[in-house]
Amino acid sequence: MAVADPIITLEGVSKSFGATQAVSNVSFQVMPGRCVGWLGPNGSGKTTLIRCMLGLARTTTGTITVRGHAIPGDVRQALTRVGAIVEEPRFYPYLSGKANLEVAAKFVGGDAATRIDWALERVDLVDRSGSKVKEYSLGMRQRLGVARSLLNDPELLILDEPSNGLDPAGIVEFRRMIRSFVEDDGRTVFISSHLLDEVQKMADDIAIVQSGKLVLHGSVDQLVAEGRQSMRLRVDDPVRAEETLYRLGLVTGIAEGEHGNLELTGERIDDAKAILITRSLVEAGIGVIEIARESESLEQRFLEITSGLPLEGEGEGSS
Amino acid sequence: MISATLRTITGRKGSFLGGTIFVLVMAVIVIVANIVIHELRPGRNPSMGGQGMLDGVGGALFIFGVVVAILIGSLAGSYDVAQGTMRYLVITGARRGQIYAARIVAVVLAVLLMLAVPLALGAILAVTLPHTSADSITSGELVDYVWTAALFAVVFGLISMGIGSLLRSNGPAIAISLVFSIGFTPLLLLLYSLSETLGDATLASSLDRISGGNDGLPIAVAGVSVVMWVAVFLGFGAVRVHRDEY
Repeated sequence: MAVADPIITLEGVSKSFGATQAVSNVSFQVMPGRCVGWLGPNGSGKTTLIRCMLGLARTTTGTITVRGHAIPGDVRQALTRVGAIVEEPRFYPYLSGKANLEVAAKFVGGDAATRIDWALERVDLVDRSGSKVKEYSLGMRQRLGVARSLLNDPELLILDEPSNGLDPAGIVEFRRMIRSFVEDDGRTVFISSHLLDEVQKMADDIAIVQSGKLVLHGSVDQLVAEGRQSMRLRVDDPVRAEETLYRLGLVTGIAEGEHGNLELTGERIDDAKAILITRSLVEAGIGVIEIARESESLEQRFLEITSGLPLEGEGEGSS
Repeated sequence: MISATLRTITGRKGSFLGGTIFVLVMAVIVIVANIVIHELRPGRNPSMGGQGMLDGVGGALFIFGVVVAILIGSLAGSYDVAQGTMRYLVITGARRGQIYAARIVAVVLAVLLMLAVPLALGAILAVTLPHTSADSITSGELVDYVWTAALFAVVFGLISMGIGSLLRSNGPAIAISLVFSIGFTPLLLLLYSLSETLGDATLASSLDRISGGNDGLPIAVAGVSVVMWVAVFLGFGAVRVHRDEY
């Protein structure tokens, strides 16, 4: 596979369960070396599509290519360097963490067994690797799941809600680990999560799915930049300030708050517009007490795009 | 892959270790009973070991070995799907057929491991403990003793694995396997009332024939019949494993 080829390609992928359309005509590509956030409300088809990508479920229509190999036809070749956590990491609870990796390594084959200690070290589980998995916290099982997915030295990691069960410190550590996989190792990470703030910090690109349909796909920076941007001002004369700003025609909405606060909304309030706004106010003799520019967060964009559907709750089942 | 699968089977303390200890305890009870009976009435029971000991231990292993083999086999079939580990085996890139084949071999090995200690203990004590010349044991009888216990346990273990592979939870897998093996298999002998040949082809009759019984199908045909019975259940399980979405 050439470097510039997509590592995942989906073309018109649909998946039905009887009369229920879980995934509907989804097409997109994931380029190598990127961290892609896969977002959607509960029941939107995120996990179903991941299962199709891994050959665990069959698509109803459409084609999936992973690492240049068609799924499910060449699934074995495709998965030789793909690691994954699907729904939640499951293990043999009566075996130790290390024994679970030894079992997995036998199935992976090749030199997977030689990577067990390295993988445990990478997820910081060396000290507890001899304990039975039934004694592990959910966070430890998540890390062990990541360790298992590293056994075949994956080019592509597909992680379904891997942050579930992690405490705040664990989430920060996990984010560092994921970024390290991408930036230091050059791996591609495809990660589904309901922790939108985390995805914003972790992912380079995101894809949003709703009711089985892909509704948005692009870089995180681009998506946030395309969102509504606002500016919050506190002035000594809100009435005159409002008149001045409307005359400028740079803002699409002005909301008046308490204590002289004005909330300005615009399509793209960039640096030049911000300078123009403040300069106009000062030249009009209006005292500017406080000024702050705010971009719509990924979470706000997500809620806007998915029409305010409730977010997936932590620890909930698959979609 | 076989050793890894065997490790997952033998690691289950409840079914494997517990079952193995249970079978061993049953064998020990029979051994102790033989010794006590001999000590209490040596005139009427002149042999402490010998044929009586071999038959007693063989009988215990036949009954309890089959029950534990059913437990081992049905759990081996259902556990990975019930526990959610099956999808992680599949995404290693291993062929589903390979995973299933490794499981078949591992079940056979696990059942034999479960039987090994009590079988050996029974054989050693039967040969070494004092017994009359009339109760002495030939090498052929020792082979029959091992063959019968292992055959029944392995066959029902594999059939139970096939049944377990059709199901997505452990409880029903164990229950249905027990009902089939202990309830339905003897019930099939009613086929004798319809046809001698049909009756001979039942699993119980065919097993009896190849484990030393004198009546029924020619031994080779009985062997094929047993293989067919096992193959049908394992075949259904294989189809399910091959087609299932995880």
